[in-house]
Amino acid sequence: MKKRFEPIEGRNAEIIETVMTSDEVAQLNEELQFKIRLCVEEVEENILCYSGTQWIELEVTRDNGVLRIHFKDEGIAFDPLAKDDPDIDASLENRQVGGLGIFICKQMMDKLEYTYEHGCNCFTMIKQID
Amino acid sequence: MEVIISQENGQMVARLIGRLDTTNATQFQNDITPLMEAEHPNIVLDCTDMEYTSSQGLRMFLMLQKTVSSKAGSMVMTHMRPAIREVFDITGFSKIIQIE
Repeated sequence: MKKRFEPIEGRNAEIIETVMTSDEVAQLNEELQFKIRLCVEEVEENILCYSGTQWIELEVTRDNGVLRIHFKDEGIAFDPLAKDDPDIDASLENRQVGGLGIFICKQMMDKLEYTYEHGCNCFTMIKQID
Repeated sequence: MEVIISQENGQMVARLIGRLDTTNATQFQNDITPLMEAEHPNIVLDCTDMEYTSSQGLRMFLMLQKTVSSKAGSMVMTHMRPAIREVFDITGFSKIIQIE
């Protein structure tokens, strides 16, 4: 599945459903679908809120039991993997609300990759599914 | 996400139904406001029918727990599905929010 969304305002749910109903994802088991939905939402939300991009290109591939979900946008360069992880042992009083999204993706996917190429953020989530 | 609030034996019980995500987190925040109005809130969040939460939802639960604790109240989440429990576990939320 490959699709470009432009403009992107108000299309959060549509973007997620496009991934979830794609041939590559629709037949996966419930547990995997839960994780994929969650991680796609977290990445998409980061892009929509912070990058300032006018479009997002999404590509989902499945090859030899490996699922790859690739996001591309032309927003400001931002490497989400460079951020420190949240302190998950912090007490209730000190617990911060931010930074959870990418941390969840790190835990639930097998590998995350980020590059900045030709003025675009390229972010890929990789998950073994077989 | 639908929230149905009832009073049971001096506790506020909120049934959470459906998915909690970025599209409805603000509405959810409004829906749970009545839970925080008591002097010492005593809250049960029944998660039997909660299908999903993103980090936006976690923020809401953290905010709710902070408010309840600041008012010397109590809050417990019950009947959480394993997939959601895993999200609470990996983010450390199950150490600061009571889950039964």
